Amino acid sequence: MLSDAARSEIQALMARYPQPRSAIIPALYVAQREWGWLSHEVLAEVAALFAMEPTEVYAIAGFYNMLYKAPPGRFHIEICTNVPCRLRGAEALAEHLRQRLGLEFGETTADGNFTLDAMECLGSCATAPMCFVRRSASDWGRYYENLTPERADAMLAELLSLGDEAFVAPMERSPAGPYHHDHHPETNFLLARIDKPSSHTLASYLADGGYAAARKALGMDPAAVVEEVKRAGVRGRGGAGFPAGVKWGFLPKGVFPRYLVVNADESEPGTFKDRLIIEYDPHQLLEGIICTAWAIQAHHAFIYIRGEYMFGRLRLEQAIAEAKAHGFLGKGIFGSDFDLEVTVHPGAGAYICGEETALLTSLEGNRGHPRLKPPFPAVAGLYGKPTIVNNVETIAHVRHVVEHGADWYRQWGTERSPGFQLVCLSGEVKKPGVYEIPYGLSLRELIYDYAGGTLDDRPVKSVIPGGLSMPHLPPAKLDTGLDFESIQAAGSLLGSGGVIVIAEGTSMVSVVRRTLGFYREESCGKCTPCREGTGWLEKTLIRIEEGHGVRADLDRMERISKYIEQQSFCPFGPAAVWGLQSALRHFRPEFEAHILATNPEEAKPPVSVRPIYRPYVGLAVANVLDD
Amino acid sequence: MTEWITITIDGEALQARAGELLTEAAARAGIIIPVFCSHPKLDPLGACRMCLVESEGPRGRTLITACTTPVVAGGVYYYNSPRAVDARRGTLEFILINHPLDCPICDKGGECPLQDQTLEHGPGKSHFWEDKIHKAKNYPLSDLIVLDQERCIVCWRCIRYLAEWEDKPQLGLFHRGGETVIDKFPDAALDAYTSGSIIDLCPVGALTNRLARFRYRPWELEKTASICTHCGQGCNLRVDVRTHQVRRHVARENMAVNDEWICDKGRFAIGFSSHPERLTEPLLRVDGRLQPVSWSVAVKEVVETLKRIARQFGPQAVGAIGSAKVSNEANYLLGKFMRALVGTNNLDFREGSALRAPDGGLPALADAREADRIVLMGCDPAEEAPVLALFLKRAAIRKGAPMVIIHPRAIEFSRYPGVHLQPVPGTETALFDALTMATLSRRGEAVPEWLLALYEAGDAETALARAAAMAAAPLDAVREAAELVVTAQRPFVAYGPDYAWGYGSEALVTALRNWIVAAGHGARLGFLHTQANAQGAADMGLLPDRLPGRRPLHDAEARSRLEALWHTRLPTQPGLGYGEMIAAAGRGELKALYVMGADPIGEKPADADALAKLDLLIVQDLFLTATARQAHVVLPAASYVESDGTFTNTERRVQRAPQAVRPVGKAVADWTILMHIARYYAAGQTAGWDTPSVATVFAEIAQAVPAYADLSWERLGHGGQQYPRPATDAVLTPHDAVVLPPTDATYPFRLVVGNLLWDDGTVFAATPAMAGLGHKAAWLHPEDAAALGLHEGDRAEIRSTAGRIEVPVHLDIAVRPGTVFVPYSLQDAPVGALFDRFGPRTAVAIARV
Repeated sequence: MLSDAARSEIQALMARYPQPRSAIIPALYVAQREWGWLSHEVLAEVAALFAMEPTEVYAIAGFYNMLYKAPPGRFHIEICTNVPCRLRGAEALAEHLRQRLGLEFGETTADGNFTLDAMECLGSCATAPMCFVRRSASDWGRYYENLTPERADAMLAELLSLGDEAFVAPMERSPAGPYHHDHHPETNFLLARIDKPSSHTLASYLADGGYAAARKALGMDPAAVVEEVKRAGVRGRGGAGFPAGVKWGFLPKGVFPRYLVVNADESEPGTFKDRLIIEYDPHQLLEGIICTAWAIQAHHAFIYIRGEYMFGRLRLEQAIAEAKAHGFLGKGIFGSDFDLEVTVHPGAGAYICGEETALLTSLEGNRGHPRLKPPFPAVAGLYGKPTIVNNVETIAHVRHVVEHGADWYRQWGTERSPGFQLVCLSGEVKKPGVYEIPYGLSLRELIYDYAGGTLDDRPVKSVIPGGLSMPHLPPAKLDTGLDFESIQAAGSLLGSGGVIVIAEGTSMVSVVRRTLGFYREESCGKCTPCREGTGWLEKTLIRIEEGHGVRADLDRMERISKYIEQQSFCPFGPAAVWGLQSALRHFRPEFEAHILATNPEEAKPPVSVRPIYRPYVGLAVANVLDD
Repeated sequence: MTEWITITIDGEALQARAGELLTEAAARAGIIIPVFCSHPKLDPLGACRMCLVESEGPRGRTLITACTTPVVAGGVYYYNSPRAVDARRGTLEFILINHPLDCPICDKGGECPLQDQTLEHGPGKSHFWEDKIHKAKNYPLSDLIVLDQERCIVCWRCIRYLAEWEDKPQLGLFHRGGETVIDKFPDAALDAYTSGSIIDLCPVGALTNRLARFRYRPWELEKTASICTHCGQGCNLRVDVRTHQVRRHVARENMAVNDEWICDKGRFAIGFSSHPERLTEPLLRVDGRLQPVSWSVAVKEVVETLKRIARQFGPQAVGAIGSAKVSNEANYLLGKFMRALVGTNNLDFREGSALRAPDGGLPALADAREADRIVLMGCDPAEEAPVLALFLKRAAIRKGAPMVIIHPRAIEFSRYPGVHLQPVPGTETALFDALTMATLSRRGEAVPEWLLALYEAGDAETALARAAAMAAAPLDAVREAAELVVTAQRPFVAYGPDYAWGYGSEALVTALRNWIVAAGHGARLGFLHTQANAQGAADMGLLPDRLPGRRPLHDAEARSRLEALWHTRLPTQPGLGYGEMIAAAGRGELKALYVMGADPIGEKPADADALAKLDLLIVQDLFLTATARQAHVVLPAASYVESDGTFTNTERRVQRAPQAVRPVGKAVADWTILMHIARYYAAGQTAGWDTPSVATVFAEIAQAVPAYADLSWERLGHGGQQYPRPATDAVLTPHDAVVLPPTDATYPFRLVVGNLLWDDGTVFAATPAMAGLGHKAAWLHPEDAAALGLHEGDRAEIRSTAGRIEVPVHLDIAVRPGTVFVPYSLQDAPVGALFDRFGPRTAVAIARV
């Protein structure tokens, strides 16, 4: 049975949303904190509180990785093994911890202290390798970054000695490397404050002239704010680059309520910029939210933040409480008659929820499956109402555009990609981190001038310019400018600004195999091509990596990936295969060489043909298919 | 108004309805775009990606899903373009890579969309070299349905059906990506009453019928379009037979009756027909024991004894009880035999003369779909007509139709918004009067004097307050309910049998009708029959005071028409009804009783004494019922799937139930037995008895029953024919005040009766796989149970002045405190044993055993 305290906490959570069901994931966190995991009994109890069928809650729990369907150890260590971390030694770290704890992934030590798992990107790519440690008794988690074997050992010791309170308390800011370029502080707006002490507090923000933009916006006609943002040409920073002002213009006239949903589900491997704003300058985001909500006349904004960003969530809650106390949020903000509530909503470990319709479905209290467009969210979004979904960084830009105007903003960047941007540089470079640069700066400048070149000064082998979903660019394209149009012309996409650098000596087969592993893991399972195809591709790549590949596999993978790309339900499908497709385009000889080196005869793989007609037919029949 | 637009598919211009889906527009032109997740009865999903076609757009040709794309004027689409064909092939290859391809032993094989589409659109050979993903097989979702997760292609049809139609999302997706499976909550079974629909919807062999699986191959089945006879709705279904055994029932579309759904009782409770205890030969009581005899001996005994009794004691000493479970033809011939040959009007059936039901049942089942209010009075469609309940749920969910529920229990529909009144049994009349008065004052109309007088009030407000107080109903709830109904445009208004019989029911039904008439919806007030042919049996004149066509006994036109048709004179003395015949038997006045498809003793064991005094008790039935065990002659009848017949459902739709399987043993169709007995009885005077088939009997019915005049066996077709509803007057009718006295200390509880779908009756329990599902208990409110020291499952004695039963108790807050709900058909505990003169509202005492 849930405690009375938990029940009332859940009731209070339900009251935060226009529709109580939206509180289901937060409620499951409450239940999980109390029980350590979600047994069937607990799920049924939560279902009863929400007047839902137990199956619905069971299905929701089954979708999100952060909801435990089986009891974990006291500490759940999740090592990021995704590509950016892998390029910086995640495999070695994982191997070290496996040896040290005597565990395979998914196992728990005999004393029940540690469960070890491999995890997907946690938005900590510049401080890789790293892990996320959750403590089941508090259902709180914290990041351990820049891990070496020694630091990992120290971490294990520290975890065992750490008390409850110490664990939940925020850590000192991790040594996350340089956040801006050393020599060209040309555009330093979004990150201007993050190195200051207590940059996250309202006092610090106000001391720097904070909330002037919000006051200014409230003095403007909402349509004028929209127009200014449209004129500034602020492109969406979530991946698609759609102009924010244009999107706002799609709201149907006179239909209310409207909602603003801030996409803080930063899960694209190689992307960690939003985390920085959220954790160290949350008021900048809140001010952007106020400007945007006023512009679109929304009275309720939601920040959908990925579940692993627990520290960021805490910072946002604190910032909202401070802003509310000062009358900057809530009823009649800044003495106007404009009301604005901001609700922070945690995700629970599902990459797909970064896709805007999946995010809305998730926010409504469901498995995060994307939904049909049209209708687009601007017309029928959250609870079927007109909804604007914008990325954290996009909203932060709005704050600066409102303060300084569109002309000021357009002095940087290119005609169609105006202004400046945050790029997340990760992979095999000397100084990974978040850089604030004007659009158009070339990849070469970023890597060599700003980040000091590659590790061991190896030549660049490939660059993924927009997060793991985007196609690889070969070294020949290093002089491409980092703006939407130039990157697209070069054969990739700017995406969410996650620049992942791969240097010579790193196996493309292995990079691509791990890439597909991510998409296989994160496919929501709704549509056939993505659900079946990603697994097929990963199995093929594993087979090739393990030395059972044939060159015909490469053509087959191209064909499979074509189907996934062209006929999936949502943009996840193409994103899942662009890495593979571009790697085959630029590095096919490497794949062929690997196949011939490991399987010189190109022997057909052993295939087990197992038609299970009756339970006794368990025998695997070795066979070789002719293709 | 349909707006027609022109679209182009593969270069051919064609007309389409504006806004319809491309799949639908293409189908009209004969292009069947393959689909898996899409289904005409479910919301578009676009998940399976099977229906990809190319669409010409501003950015050139793009692949789109035809099942989610509304056509637009001038739209240009390509179904057969190389890219579209290749895309569909790609999708199908993906679908097949992890599918087990165990078609040789799969129930779906032979009627499987996945097989068919693989043949037509598939890649021809697999390029999949890897291991398949293995998932749960042979995984029971309930006692009735099995899931094979490996065969599942994750189309969500089952999930969506349960969410969109049943509003019980008991299936969901679990895990994600390639591991995605359909699953239920681990500690529960599917319990939606139409859960079996998901078997019909499944486009592969993932969901199978646990009773039918491995017992047929689809191509071996003989398929007969028929109907279901479990309740009054008459859902259309198909009876599939292999080697003279019914293997399964599947739903058949009839938009007027059941859309495309049947309930789980209709689908699964089919074992009665082939049950080993079926009667297979006539039995005659010899030396005190029932012994098998030939048909000729049995018929001779029936006819000669009946003749002797009629001669000796007069025709009034003979009576017959028919059944709302058997066909129109059987009931018609039973009535005709009694009236035309024996010469008595002693005719009735259980739901016959005792029921205060209007002549026309429901206006139309399909009205439920469009309802803007749902008014349920003493009826519970979720238990009594589960497919109708689907329509009503949909009106509630999709159109936001509020509920007005007046029922002694909190029923499933109580979960929807609206007004729910739970009057104490015996005070309903006052409640309906209150509603009538609230309605009249809302409309600014005067409350009639007789109504004021009934509540000894000088003004309407006082009378209203008193009536509401007598029913213990909050006044604002009464006003709100009245408001909801008076402001309705298209309300669905129905009441059920539990308000329509027993002491005081005449006043109750009058009061109920007055309310709806006052609200201006008299023409929409309907009666929900709970038996397959209650409407038809009454239409056939199986009533002591009504001739076929429900004409009064002395209606000159009807008499002369029937006398000409039957070549005889009709008896004029009104007959005895169901209860009166049994009472007359007890007094020794009734000497012979012909019981067809009924079991009076099973329903009220105390009647055994009365029937024991009969000189001749003939029972014609499927099983050796309690009544049959006491009979002198037992005639084995064929079940409805074993014989031709027509049934008239609760919306007056006459539907065929043709023979689908041969009868067991020497069982014979009811109508055939009656034909033979009548011809023998008539002894050569067989004019009027030469109807050698159901079609000819039905042709005669069309002459006997004016409402059926335009119908014929052929014309009924596969969807049946509805005859018009007789007009009723829209005037308020005075009634007596009937409020039962409060219960006393000796019998402190008020009885509540009603039907549950899983009723555990003879027909239901005859399907062994369902035996565990039947309800076995009487329901008590937990507080009452606590006061009595009763816990869930404890056995209790329920006692009235009339008798006693012993049952386990089930505790449920759906029951109003102070009442006990005893469902009909509890095995070994017939609620009828308790009925005193208050019938279904008898006062009872409860004690722990």
